[in-house]
Amino acid sequence: MKEGQSFILFLIVLTSLCDTFRELFLKSGVNSLEEFSPDNVKRVIIFVFKLIGNPRVWVSLLFGLLSLLIWLFILSKVDLNFAFSLDSMHYIFIALASQFLLKEKVKLGRWVGTFLIVLGITLVTLS
Amino acid sequence: MAKRKLTVKILFFLVLSDILEAFHQFCFKKSTFLEGDPDIKGFYDILLFLKGPFSSPFLWIGLLSVIVAFVIWSAVLSKIDLSVAVPMASFSYIFVALTSIIFLHETVTLLRWSGIFLILIGVIFVSMSSQEKESAFR
Repeated sequence: MKEGQSFILFLIVLTSLCDTFRELFLKSGVNSLEEFSPDNVKRVIIFVFKLIGNPRVWVSLLFGLLSLLIWLFILSKVDLNFAFSLDSMHYIFIALASQFLLKEKVKLGRWVGTFLIVLGITLVTLS
Repeated sequence: MAKRKLTVKILFFLVLSDILEAFHQFCFKKSTFLEGDPDIKGFYDILLFLKGPFSSPFLWIGLLSVIVAFVIWSAVLSKIDLSVAVPMASFSYIFVALTSIIFLHETVTLLRWSGIFLILIGVIFVSMSSQEKESAFR
């Protein structure tokens, strides 16, 4: 593998990690809010203001921005197909992070489903 | 955190945020159509190029749908596990593929069909794993 290619690979892993952190921080921010029940418009507005006021949501948005910038750089270097198929690895990162950091119970069925999705996305984007 | 199962209502909002996500891409793309080939040499050219999309209503509709999708997505996350919500969002790949087939008349290779099929099976597995856990908790 050429040096340039391994650098791109590193960037794709990096943007996947940023995506993972984006979702992690958003989930943990939302978890820290109290129960949301969208019964009426007032509650939806309160929910939106709570989101805006939550620092973890802002960290999440920051990671999203970082991921987007790296992604745009990657796209200027390699094919969209190639980049997209490798980016699907962030599903694996999300499952791992959910299990170990958010203490969600990721059982065998969910792992199998996640791997099938990654495989499916790879087939769809590469073909 | 109470464990909650994936209900039809949550699924509906998950899919809605997915569709809005795809819709904003379409709007952004559409907002750049007004321009000819951008001839970008420096920073000033970028600003000049952005003038086009920003004066297009599509860009603002797109931005609005990003914000709405974000709020819906956050609401969905407050209800279900992250390890369920994120894989379920891969529904969008199936949407994009199906709309390309139906509206853009793209031909789809056997390999791509099998990819779509695998994603679908994967999504079913993930959603079932969410139901199963709930019943174990009752």
